[in-house]
Amino acid sequence: MTILYDTQSLVGRYLTKLIRNPTLLGTNLVTPVIFLVLFSQLLTKFGEFIPNAPGGYLAYLTPGVIMLNAMISAPLGGVSLANDLNSGFLSKMLLTQVRRPAILLGRLVTDMLMAVAESIITIVVAVAMGVQFSSGLPGVLLILVTVAFFEFALSGIFLTVGIRTRKTETISALSGVLFFPLIFISSAMFPISFFPSWAQTFSNYNPVSYASDVTRDLVVGGLTFNSLASAYVLIGVIAVLTFAATLVQFRKVVS
Amino acid sequence: MVVYRDGTRAVEGISFSVNEGEFFGFLGPNGAGKSTTIKVLTTLLRKTSGRVSVSGFDLDKSPGEIRKAVGVLSQETSLDVDLTGWENLRLHGRLQQMSGQALDDRIAELLKLVQLEDVAKKPAGRYSGGMRKRLDLASALIHRPKLLFLDEPTTGLDTQSRVAIWEYLEGLNKNEGITIFLTTQYLEEADKLCRKLSVIDHGKLIANGTPSELKESIGGDAINLIFKDAAVKSKAKDILRTVPGVTDVMDSDGGVTAYARSAGQIIAGVITALDRAGIQPSFLSISSPTLDDVFLRKTGRRIRVDELTRKETEPFLT
Repeated sequence: MTILYDTQSLVGRYLTKLIRNPTLLGTNLVTPVIFLVLFSQLLTKFGEFIPNAPGGYLAYLTPGVIMLNAMISAPLGGVSLANDLNSGFLSKMLLTQVRRPAILLGRLVTDMLMAVAESIITIVVAVAMGVQFSSGLPGVLLILVTVAFFEFALSGIFLTVGIRTRKTETISALSGVLFFPLIFISSAMFPISFFPSWAQTFSNYNPVSYASDVTRDLVVGGLTFNSLASAYVLIGVIAVLTFAATLVQFRKVVS
Repeated sequence: MVVYRDGTRAVEGISFSVNEGEFFGFLGPNGAGKSTTIKVLTTLLRKTSGRVSVSGFDLDKSPGEIRKAVGVLSQETSLDVDLTGWENLRLHGRLQQMSGQALDDRIAELLKLVQLEDVAKKPAGRYSGGMRKRLDLASALIHRPKLLFLDEPTTGLDTQSRVAIWEYLEGLNKNEGITIFLTTQYLEEADKLCRKLSVIDHGKLIANGTPSELKESIGGDAINLIFKDAAVKSKAKDILRTVPGVTDVMDSDGGVTAYARSAGQIIAGVITALDRAGIQPSFLSISSPTLDDVFLRKTGRRIRVDELTRKETEPFLT
C-alpha cells in the first residue's frame, strides 16, 4: 500500500460525490460551452481588429476560456476541505492510517481532473465551431498538461483559505475578487494591445497571461521554447508557494 | 495527563488504566473533559503533559501504531452523506489500508451486524439518526480494532436506537473480546454497560470503581425530599441531620437528599422529626443509591442531562 493507493481512494470519493451532485457537475461542465459560444458570438466582429489573429476571435478566445474554466473550478477543493473540517469527516480520516499528504493530493488531483475535463469539452466545442488546432494531438495534450499544472497552482490558494477559515463563503468571495482582475487584465480574453498602459504592465506580470499565451500558441501556432519555459517557471513558483502555504495550514490541523 | 485547550485547563492531572477486554466507562456531565480525553487518547489532540500508553504503544512515540489498533466512534456522526452506506464503509476500509475480497467480506459482515444490509445502496444522507450512528459504528470496526473508543455513542438517539447500540456493544465486548472505552453523561448507560467506571467532573477524576462499588460507597439508601421554599428547606436540613441513622444530608435539584443505611427503618423517625417542627415535605421518595447519588456526594451537584429536551423523534429504522 502506498500513498498512491490513498490518493486514489480519495479521488474516487470526490468523483463519486461530483456524480451524485449533477447540478454542480453539470454547471461546471456546461460553463465552458457557455463562455465560448457567448463571447465568440457577441464579439465576432472584434476579430477584425486583432492583429495577427488566424482563426478570428474564436481561435483567440479558446485558450482564454480554457484558463477561465480552470480558475472557476479551482475553489472547489477549498470548499470541499472546509466542509470536511466542519462536518468532522476530516477528523475521521485523520483517525485512520491514511497517509496525511494523500488527503491534500486526493483533492488536488480531483481539481486537476475537473479542469482537464472542462478543457476537453471546450476543445471539442471549439473544434466543432471551426477552430483548427495547428499543433494537433500532441499540442492538445500539452494544453491539458498546462491546464492541470495551472489548476494545481491555483487550487492551493483555496485549500489554504479553506483550511484556515473553514468558511465556504470566504472562498466564494475571494474567488470573485481574485479572478476578475486576473482573467480580464490578462491576455486571456482580449489582446493586451487594447489595454491602457497600467493594465498592460499588470498583464505582463500576470501568470494567467503566460498560461493563456502558451495555450494560444499551441492552438494557432508559433510556440517558442522561451514562452513555454517562462510560463512553466512562473506557474511552478506559484505552485510551490501555494502548496507550501497549504501544507503549513494543514499541519496545524493534523497535529 | 494534563490538557490545556484554548488557554484553559480542560483536563487536570487525571490518571487511570483500562485492562484488556474490559468495558470501561467515563461518566460525567457536559464539559467535564470526556471528549478531550478521548481526543488525546486517539491521537487527535495533543496533551500538554503526562504519559499515555494505548494498546501497549506510547502516544508520543508511535501514534501510527495506536491508530492501527483502535477504532473510534466520535460524538458527532461523521459520514459522507453523498456516498452510500456501502461506499462509506469501503472508503473507510481503504483508508485503513484494506483492499480486495477481504475488504468486501468485512463490509458485508459489518452491514449484517448493524442491520443495514437493506439500505446499503442508499446514500447515507437519507439515513435516520440511529442508522447513521450504526453505520458510523461499523466504519469504526472495519479494521478489526482491539480497542474501541466511543464518545457519547447514544447522545441524541431515541430509546430504541440506544438499546440497539447497547446490544451491539455488549456483543462486541463479550463475543469478540474488544476492549471498550465509552464516555457517557447517561447514568443508566454507565450503570448497565460498564464493568468499571471513572467519574469525571471539571477535568478531574472524582471516583473510580465498578458501578456497584461506587453505589455501595454511598452507604445505604437515599431519601429524597422536596419542600415548599428555601427557608423551610434549610430548617429541614438542620433537623434531618439530627435524626438518628441519617448518615449525610445534601442539597439536590431544589430538594434535599438524606442518606441512611436502611431508609425503611428510619423513615418514621424522619417524618416525626419534621412534623414536630411543623414541616411537611411536598414530596418524598426513597431510592436505592444511583450513580447520580455518587456524583452528588462528590460534587454537591446532580449530573444534569438534557434528557428531556433531547430529540426523541429519530426513527430507528425507516
